[in-house]
Amino acid sequence: MSVLEIDGLRTFIKRRNGVVRAVDGVSFAVEPGETVGLVGESGCGKTMTGLSIMRLLPGGGHIAGGSIRFGGMDLAALNESAMRKVRGNEIGIVFQDPMTSLNPTMTIGHQIGEVVREHRGVSKEEAMARAEEVLALVGMPRPAERLGYYPHQLSGGLRQRVMIGIALACDPKLLIADEPTTALDVTIQDQILTLLDDLKERLGMAVLLITHDMGVIAGRTDRVLVMYAGKIVEKAGTGRLFGRTRHPYTAALLASIPRLDQPVTHRLYAIPGLPPDLADPPPGCRFAPRCRFATEECAASEPVLGGPEPDHPYACFHPIGPDSALPATEVVDRHDRAESGADSDLLVLEHTVKEFPVTSGALMRRAVGTVKAVSDVTLTIRRGETLGLVGESGCGKTTIGRMIVALERPTSGRVVFEGQDLGSLSGARLRQVRKDLQLMFQDPYASLDPRMRVGSILREPLQIQGLGSAAEQRERVAGLLREVGLSPRATELYPHEFSGGQRQRIGLARALALSPKLIVADEPVSALDVSIRSQILNLMRRLQAAHGLTYVVISHDLSVIRYLADQVGVMYLGKLVEVGSSADIYERPAHPYTHGLLNTIPVPDPEVERAKHGVAVAGELPSAMDPPSGCRFRTRCPLAQDVCAAEEPVLRAFGGEHKAACHFPLQTPAGGHASEVLVQ
Amino acid sequence: MIGFIIRRIGQAIIVILGVTLIVFILRHLLPGNIARAILGIRATPFAIAAFNRQNGLNNPLPLQYVTFLNQLIHGNLGYSFKQNMTVDSIVAHDLPNDLVLVGVSLVLALLIAIPLGIVQAVRRNKLTDYTATGIAFVLYSMPAYLLGLLLIAFFAVNLRLLPAEAPQASTIGGVLADPSGLVLPVATLTLVTVALFSRYMRSSAIDSLTQDYIRTARAKGLRQSAILFRHLLRNSLIPVATLVGISIPGILTFGLIIEQLFNFPGVGLAYFNAAVNGDYPVVFGITVLVAVATVLGNLIADVAYAVLDPRVRYD
Repeated sequence: MSVLEIDGLRTFIKRRNGVVRAVDGVSFAVEPGETVGLVGESGCGKTMTGLSIMRLLPGGGHIAGGSIRFGGMDLAALNESAMRKVRGNEIGIVFQDPMTSLNPTMTIGHQIGEVVREHRGVSKEEAMARAEEVLALVGMPRPAERLGYYPHQLSGGLRQRVMIGIALACDPKLLIADEPTTALDVTIQDQILTLLDDLKERLGMAVLLITHDMGVIAGRTDRVLVMYAGKIVEKAGTGRLFGRTRHPYTAALLASIPRLDQPVTHRLYAIPGLPPDLADPPPGCRFAPRCRFATEECAASEPVLGGPEPDHPYACFHPIGPDSALPATEVVDRHDRAESGADSDLLVLEHTVKEFPVTSGALMRRAVGTVKAVSDVTLTIRRGETLGLVGESGCGKTTIGRMIVALERPTSGRVVFEGQDLGSLSGARLRQVRKDLQLMFQDPYASLDPRMRVGSILREPLQIQGLGSAAEQRERVAGLLREVGLSPRATELYPHEFSGGQRQRIGLARALALSPKLIVADEPVSALDVSIRSQILNLMRRLQAAHGLTYVVISHDLSVIRYLADQVGVMYLGKLVEVGSSADIYERPAHPYTHGLLNTIPVPDPEVERAKHGVAVAGELPSAMDPPSGCRFRTRCPLAQDVCAAEEPVLRAFGGEHKAACHFPLQTPAGGHASEVLVQ
Repeated sequence: MIGFIIRRIGQAIIVILGVTLIVFILRHLLPGNIARAILGIRATPFAIAAFNRQNGLNNPLPLQYVTFLNQLIHGNLGYSFKQNMTVDSIVAHDLPNDLVLVGVSLVLALLIAIPLGIVQAVRRNKLTDYTATGIAFVLYSMPAYLLGLLLIAFFAVNLRLLPAEAPQASTIGGVLADPSGLVLPVATLTLVTVALFSRYMRSSAIDSLTQDYIRTARAKGLRQSAILFRHLLRNSLIPVATLVGISIPGILTFGLIIEQLFNFPGVGLAYFNAAVNGDYPVVFGITVLVAVATVLGNLIADVAYAVLDPRVRYD
């Protein structure tokens, strides 16, 4: 018997401008002991499906139809007090952000013990004993001691373990994990997902894993449900879904993800347009307006979930098959380095160090330490190329980006742009240089002034630098909008009238306004949905080719870096641990950290994912105020020996420009024996 | 925690020193000079010279400030030549009455405003909320003396239920012996304060209600009462604690008006009368006292904040 059986679920949300049909006729079942993946972009209704099961819908939300069968009950029709006995007891749920999902004013022992007391009616002492047991179960080091900790005293990964502990404290039959790792670093994501897999096996529960990440789906689920605009469009066993994708939306989604295991010579497939407004969905197939196989039939009538294969239903009149596949994408317009004045250095970081003092005391500020954000980094950025900087949060990559655009001055060392030391410039000279150094931000919502029209946002840099007459500036703005693919009408609109992807185009246009030589893009696509991401990535590459731009792309996402970068720097805790061409880093990583990072990235291919074993990078990032002696990575490195603690490794050459700082590299350094290289 | 409190007390002392310095300077900025201000316009030059010598007013200013501070530390707030008694004895006589008026009103206001704000937040945009918000707005925008007058008109004049004047007993025991006279002053001060606090409590609770940890609490299957008491209350009190601290001077000001209105024998009334009569030593003495009370109020608010929010207990 199924653990959960949902039939024709419809969840509506009343909004001021109408009723949003967030979940519109969704049916599926979850069997005991299996992990079912629910995948889709933001706004597709996957989270609302999860919240409907728990009956935790936000204000204005209600279940308008269908049934949710669980343990002989229909949860959709259950009264509130009976529902309370299900929540946290028979169904546990883990939310996305462990920073905000835990009560900041309550110890974690209490937060876990509370569920046990509520449902088991045990004494305070018994509840605490159970809380300790649960903390041990979710892999919390020293659980007894941690009971009295408050959430802010724990790292993100440990907080998510507490969240999982709360969900599991009463041995639920079903665990709903709603984007459980989206707010975490990749190495921690890997640890948490492995923990969930392991707990599922040990406790024999079923898991509903809600995510936007096809890579996570590929590695962690038995069956997959693909949602689009409130409906399930395809469902199948995980291997089958990836191997024989039938729905054009699923196929397009997979084709639009930059991947570690595919060549970067082709453009990413970009799904045109935006998902429909669920307050007023289009008639017929909801994906039809964005689908390249759509015919009149698709717009006129709605395909139902079905098809000839009972274990692989899809809702499409023109499924992907041997005779219809997504067209091969065009070869990317890779810029020609020789033409753009190649091999001349545009910007050089020389032994750059950036430390931030940490002060304490409200009255007499005294330094209690320094955060060593960037420690002795030397890097060269060549004209017309893209340098990618990768690393976990707190590794110093953003600080480097800010020093490159002269928003931050290095504590020591130099940042040399076209022969001049940025640290020595000030006043008018510095303003002059700023024209050539521009920044593109991560969050398209927060980085545009909500009270300025787009036209003014784009004109402002031109006005500040006093470039051209008013008419020329207006013309330039129109040209910029054309270039990033927005209508000239946009000048009159405010940022909130645009979607996230469009805002990021505006952000890019703003960065381009002064025809800079270098653009630092800090996580340019991480706030965007997958299908929108590829549009922006393609646009960035096209603009680079057209203008001979130099990019510094900062990202935690190794696949994004691989798609954009010529040269890649890997950072760990303020240190540059490895640098080299894209091929060096991705095909011949020499540093164990790079190797581990590459292994933690979930690849949207079940076979690749299943072949992985264990956790690639264990442990958590140490404090940047008191970094480990010697090699900073040694505390998490599987190859670490005594010498790693005693001696700091220097960057060694591994052929060409490939360098890595490791005592026990995975490749043979240049000057080593050629035969060893061949063995590798 | 202890370290935090000690550091905050250190800061409080510095603020109080600053206030005494300002009061000291104000004293010397009086038109003419202190002696003239105190002895009156027709005092002879001889009397003024004698007064200056007697009170050390010929000494250099820094020395005078040190003397002034030394007196304050020893609890000497000054001497009222007009009333021919020390400011200390005036304050000692009136202060307990104020503690009753302000203290009782503050406690009552919090006891009403906190649950009211939570109820409003939970029943947001429903009739209960609209009604409470409406009343709070009327009370908040009404001058305290008007509210007091309306209460007197209704309860004292029309219904003849309660006396219009506060008890005139000279001791705190005497004031408490006749609690009916306290009802209207306390009610007036409570109502204006509730209006202020409940609006903050409501918005703070609404803010907390939308937080993810409240959703987590619901996902645990907790009863509504457990969610409100264990998870919502403490988190929404955090911003309100600061508000209570910073509104203490405001409440003391309301108290001053109310004491005047009900002829309540408190420090506020003494302050008002001294200001009207140009009894400067009393004005300055009470100013220092109010400053100390304000700083203390904020100190208590900060400590409450640290108790409520474990994230600020950085030691």
